[in-house]
Amino acid sequence: MASGSRQEPEMTKVTELTDDGLLARMIAGDEEAFTLLYRRRHPSIYRFALHMSGNATVAEDVTQEVFMTLIRDPKRFDPARGSLAGFLFGVARNFLKKRWEQDRRLVALDGDANDIGERASAGDAARNGASRNGFHANGNGWASAAGADEFATRETISRVRSAVATLPENYREIVVLCDLEEMSYEEAAAALGCPVGTVRSRLHRARAILLDKLREAHTARRVPAVGT
Amino acid sequence: MSDKEEMKSMSCIEFGEILHDLDRAGTHAMALRERALAHAESCAPCAQLLTEAESLDQALHAIATAEGEQEAPAWVESALLREFRIAKSSTRSTNLGRHAAALGIAAAVLLAAGVSIHRFGPGTKVAGNGPGSVAGVSTPAPTNEVAQNVAESASDFVALPYADDPDGTEGGTVVRVELSGAALASLGMPVSLAGSSGSISADLLVSDDGTPQAIRLVSQETAGEEF
Repeated sequence: MASGSRQEPEMTKVTELTDDGLLARMIAGDEEAFTLLYRRRHPSIYRFALHMSGNATVAEDVTQEVFMTLIRDPKRFDPARGSLAGFLFGVARNFLKKRWEQDRRLVALDGDANDIGERASAGDAARNGASRNGFHANGNGWASAAGADEFATRETISRVRSAVATLPENYREIVVLCDLEEMSYEEAAAALGCPVGTVRSRLHRARAILLDKLREAHTARRVPAVGT
Repeated sequence: MSDKEEMKSMSCIEFGEILHDLDRAGTHAMALRERALAHAESCAPCAQLLTEAESLDQALHAIATAEGEQEAPAWVESALLREFRIAKSSTRSTNLGRHAAALGIAAAVLLAAGVSIHRFGPGTKVAGNGPGSVAGVSTPAPTNEVAQNVAESASDFVALPYADDPDGTEGGTVVRVELSGAALASLGMPVSLAGSSGSISADLLVSDDGTPQAIRLVSQETAGEEF
């Protein structure tokens, strides 16, 4: 029992280590440190790859390759050039680009065929509440047509997901990081290796494209087919 | 100008520039939120834009919430742990190899230092353990005349770094060789300490299968006297 009580503080220390601390221990051969580092960092890498590729198998492969790189060549990470998380995202982006070069049909453009979360339900959306500013415009836009409380229905979420999947790659990764992974501009800039201003301008452009796509989809749905 | 009039002074262009940052923590737009909302209150197109942006935010947040728990399947972690263990064991073997080589080189340095003392010391003879006793090597009794003749003037044998069985040399043979400085250097011998610019005499201890197991430098002076 005494030994158990001695181990507990040690475990706490390991789990509280920074990424760099865990990496140093991992390089020294500490399997527990590697496991902790993987469990800490892999979910965001996996989801990033999943959102970027739209394919769970690709996301699994990319996640595996990212951490294989860390195991085989940990010296590739230079703390002076950014955070470990940023390095891992960079490696993931490179693997995704390679995969896209091999197969340009990875992104499932059809929302029905998309592997990404069919779990987004109306219930999930309802938890997020209604419009935050209380405005409910009465125009013919896609957002106002159904009323603010119903925007986040399963159908709307599915349309938004499809719209994100069809964004150009450089815009999609910004939306994934800033809006889906909810990173700050600074964190996204570190992950992508670009200035904060670039992140901000790309995100604004990406969201403008998304709004255009959603309006187009809404209009197409409202206008009956010719000849009917 | 009243506060309310100041709020209304935001233009549609300014509103569009901060629209997507209104709810983003840590951005400049957060400070302008009240002004932006006031502008939207009096501008229908901007109010529409704001509603659309908020709806987009909600949908994206719903996706993030619903998929926030998604992780790679367990087999990925298992595969990575296997790879980690393989990498660790391979690193350990490499380190062991380096350690053995370092020991061999260290032994060679000691040997060379001994030779140096023997050659340049004031009439000093290296006190070896006898011809049959070798540093780190169990040496067989000398099996030829050469070895017997130089036994008193050469230092102890040193196991070669790559010797596969330095202890299993019973019945082995001692062979006198003349090696270039470069060849000795490739064996990790500090030839500069041996004090020779040309060929250097050395004894190789060769096991039954013909594999050199150990080496010792032989003082050229002594060799010259004896041959």
